[in-house]
Amino acid sequence: MFRLAVKSVRHNPKRLVLTAVAVALGVALAAATFTLTNALSGGFTKLFEEIYAGTDVIVEVDPDADPAEEDPFAATESVFTGADVDEVAAVDGVSSAWGGRQVMGSVLAADFEPTNDVMAGGGPPSQLFNWAGDPRVDQATLVEGDGPAADDEIVLDLDSAPNLGYAIGDTVSVATEAGVEEFTLVGLVRFGESNSLQGATLGYMTDARSAAINGDDGYEQISVIVEDGANQDAVAEAIGEILPPDTRAITGEAKAAEQTEAFDEILQYIDIFAIAFALIALFVGAYIIVNTFRIIVTQRTREFGLMRAIGVSGRQLRTMILLEALVVAVASSTIGIVVGYLGALGLSTLVEAFSGDIFGTVTLPLDAVLWGYSLGALVTIVAAIMPAIHASTISPMEALRESATESKKPLRLRNVVGGALTLLGVLAIVVGLYMDIERPYIPVGAGAMILIIGVTLLAAQVLVPLAYGLKATLTRIFRVDGKLAANNIHREPRRSANTAAALMIGVMLLALVATFTESMKSLVTEQFKGNSADFFVFSSQGAIPTGAIEVIEGEDGVAYVTSTGLGTVLLDGGTTNVGVIDPETADLAFDYNNEPDFDQMDGGVFIDPSMVEAGYEVGDELTLEGPEGTATLTVTGRYLNEGDAQVWIDEDTGHELLGDYPLAQSMVVLDDDVDAAEAQDQLLEALAVDYPLVVLQSPGEFEQLANQFIDLLLGIISAMLGAALVIALLGVANTLLLSVTERTREIGLLRAVGVRRRSIRRMIRIESMVMAIFGTILGMILGVGLGAALVRALEDFGFTTITIPWVWLLLYTISAAIAGVLAAVWPARRAAKLDILQAIAFDG
Amino acid sequence: MTTTLTETPRTSVAVAASMRGGAKTYGDGDAAVRALDGVDVDIAIAEFTAIMGPSGSGKSTLLHTLAGLDRLTAGDSWIGETRITGLSEDKITQVRRDKIGFVFQAFNLIPSLTARENITLPLDIAGRDIDPDWFGEVIAILGLADRLSHLPAELSGGQQQRVAVARALVARPELIFADEPSGNLDSRSGGELLGFMRRAVEEFGQTIAMVTHDPTAASYADRVLFLADGRIVDEMREPTAERVLDRMKQMGH
Repeated sequence: MFRLAVKSVRHNPKRLVLTAVAVALGVALAAATFTLTNALSGGFTKLFEEIYAGTDVIVEVDPDADPAEEDPFAATESVFTGADVDEVAAVDGVSSAWGGRQVMGSVLAADFEPTNDVMAGGGPPSQLFNWAGDPRVDQATLVEGDGPAADDEIVLDLDSAPNLGYAIGDTVSVATEAGVEEFTLVGLVRFGESNSLQGATLGYMTDARSAAINGDDGYEQISVIVEDGANQDAVAEAIGEILPPDTRAITGEAKAAEQTEAFDEILQYIDIFAIAFALIALFVGAYIIVNTFRIIVTQRTREFGLMRAIGVSGRQLRTMILLEALVVAVASSTIGIVVGYLGALGLSTLVEAFSGDIFGTVTLPLDAVLWGYSLGALVTIVAAIMPAIHASTISPMEALRESATESKKPLRLRNVVGGALTLLGVLAIVVGLYMDIERPYIPVGAGAMILIIGVTLLAAQVLVPLAYGLKATLTRIFRVDGKLAANNIHREPRRSANTAAALMIGVMLLALVATFTESMKSLVTEQFKGNSADFFVFSSQGAIPTGAIEVIEGEDGVAYVTSTGLGTVLLDGGTTNVGVIDPETADLAFDYNNEPDFDQMDGGVFIDPSMVEAGYEVGDELTLEGPEGTATLTVTGRYLNEGDAQVWIDEDTGHELLGDYPLAQSMVVLDDDVDAAEAQDQLLEALAVDYPLVVLQSPGEFEQLANQFIDLLLGIISAMLGAALVIALLGVANTLLLSVTERTREIGLLRAVGVRRRSIRRMIRIESMVMAIFGTILGMILGVGLGAALVRALEDFGFTTITIPWVWLLLYTISAAIAGVLAAVWPARRAAKLDILQAIAFDG
Repeated sequence: MTTTLTETPRTSVAVAASMRGGAKTYGDGDAAVRALDGVDVDIAIAEFTAIMGPSGSGKSTLLHTLAGLDRLTAGDSWIGETRITGLSEDKITQVRRDKIGFVFQAFNLIPSLTARENITLPLDIAGRDIDPDWFGEVIAILGLADRLSHLPAELSGGQQQRVAVARALVARPELIFADEPSGNLDSRSGGELLGFMRRAVEEFGQTIAMVTHDPTAASYADRVLFLADGRIVDEMREPTAERVLDRMKQMGH
């Protein structure tokens, strides 16, 4: 049986080529992602290992004690005093202990000019530390010049210094939260073995200077070198006994492993994201496979009838078809894995050419191979099941029939099943979106898939009257070519519907994303309507320095600056996001969606809808526990948008709970008679002195910026869906190609009675275009519908209006028509080139 | 080739199609097969010509090359006054569309079109108007009036072939080529079909050239051409089934 299947595939490989390409594309997507994330993981594992390579034991804040410390890249608090360091150094087995401190700041390039561009300071951040002078602690070795001895001296890593335009002896500017600090470059260091910093800039200054800039002489961590022969674990344990609460001692090795694990967890999300898109691509591919096998079974009806007549059982036939599918799956998955690997290799080389060595060795991970084969095989086999069952029911009588008669099976069963599935899908989506359940994306996702299959089944019924309706129009425009094309579409409604549906899925997702993002833009516009601020303050590197706000407030013409800070507190044992505002000015600058206004806060807290859902209400007493203090406050109002912060407090309470909290957003309001453009220049000039990375955006600029980000999001998702769309187009081409083969005689006859090649080509093209546009329109209806449902469900997050992305929809329709023409190129050429004599020859 | 031309000059009067020195070779060198080997033939206007011959005699090739479906390796052929050898594919297609009707042995009809649409297909392609009187007359003669809205799959074999004949007639072509039109029919349906074709020649002056290997079918024609090994070896006027059969037997068939 297996040999028969292989022979059958080899006998007529052409008809399976496009099927194989479809599977291979989906598999390649998955394989490429796995390869890339594996290489990234390798690269960063090496980085983490080098960071902790020389240090035997690290003393730090216990991440389990403070939930805000879970993010491996977050800045740590300076919890250790100089006395703590001395105490650790005195523990048995400790050779030396060194307090480490990081300075938040950016080393400015030598030719840096302040611009009002949010992206100006973009790129990998600077990592600035206090210099220990011991390579085991610093993880960096001096390779040229001297270490920083005086407080105005700095060393940089040997790659960044020339990149930024500095040589030893030059004056280096560093933008910190305390303003621009100047240093003299006295030496160059190499990080670890090969200075693989993944693009970041590394710098060291004296301990005193770092404390001065931070305004805090505490340390974030203590690096410990143990005496020769001492057991690291034992020393770590001994240190642990004398430490302040909520801190811990951990060996360097364990720390590196921990960081790698945390990073791998992030990469896992990328993998899941990519698998989701690969699955979409393969789901579309499955439609093609169903169609291909269905057509192949029809074409081989006589062959199967003959086999049945000579004693092959229905089950054997079914097995044979499934084996054929397996052969295709294995072959195309192999191609997909290889292509994916090569693609990843190419991409990583390309990325490294621009941003340096961020990948480890690019190898093909086992994950990629396993996922590739299992996804490919699963999709192909599942898709081939229905056609295989159909083949097994072929009667031996079929072999004796004169010609393959057109099967006119009624669509009733298909319609009933389709209708039921559509309803079920809609129901699941509604439940997921509007009912208050955990993990709503599961019913929504499953519902969307069921809905797609349901609509696909129903599409066949829609196509028949549609094709009849179009027939008159097409006949009028394209004369007989149009009529024949319309006929061909409704002749095999199942096949046409499946083909159109493959395209429908991709377009549906595009339309969904477009509806969502356009509605998001409306939301942005809506929010800016309530804005009276003249400028929004941004820092292109992280939080807005408090000093910068003071500079702005000190300038003439500025009425006031109102800022929003963010932090985390504990409430009834759980972590809660807290927003800090100035109740007096917040609502004047920006029309927040709250009840009542913030100026009624009265030293209490406002709560957002998620808190209301959790059972809190106005009048309740909340006890908030922050890193700096605890306060019990009365709920005095509600903040009506979800997703910004769960509780809102005023600045005094903010300082009491959080100490110095980072500012997320600041708004500048000018005096009434001040010209905004002039004021912007004046303020930027004032900021350039100490805070060159702080920029001011007018509401118009900010809105544009926000919209740019939204467009970028749309662009990225559209690109990811590109694979699914390409597969869908291959599907249209494939179906047409197989149909052309099936209609050889008919096309020959048309040619014989005088239809020109050009007309034949046009006929196929019209057929393709109609199917493509039909699929696109179905997809748009579904996509806009689902998008609207999603927007409606997110009302709590401030979404008010559903914006239909007309421009995009028009663009999709035009693209679909063009794509239809493109997909028809090959089949149309095949059809036009058919040898008339062969086509009409009687195979007696 | 010029010598062949001088041997039997083309008579430009009353000829619907003709061929001079027609040769068709498949393959190269030793493996070459000469399907047509210097054929001179004239299809007279308003006559029913049958082309007979054993399998492999080249009768189908003759029909295909005469009709412009296939190209001659050497020699020339004309449809009416138009020399089709040397014309571009598009031009030949146009000649077929405007001047020729076809009836094949099977697969004559486009499955997705109704009988009426199949019949008017050549006119639709050419963008010509349908003459309703003529259409009605053809339909009446062929007895298809109540079958016009049916799809081919809903028609019997005989009815399908009659639709094909109607299609060939409705466009009023200069010439109809038929390739074993009754080959797939039982003798009664076949006889009916050939009867219709005979009537078309007699009543409308339609020219028909038909390839067949069935002596009974050939007996409906005005004239029978016998083909063997790619050459025309004999001709018979006013044929009867018996005479044709005898002649075929002589040819060792």
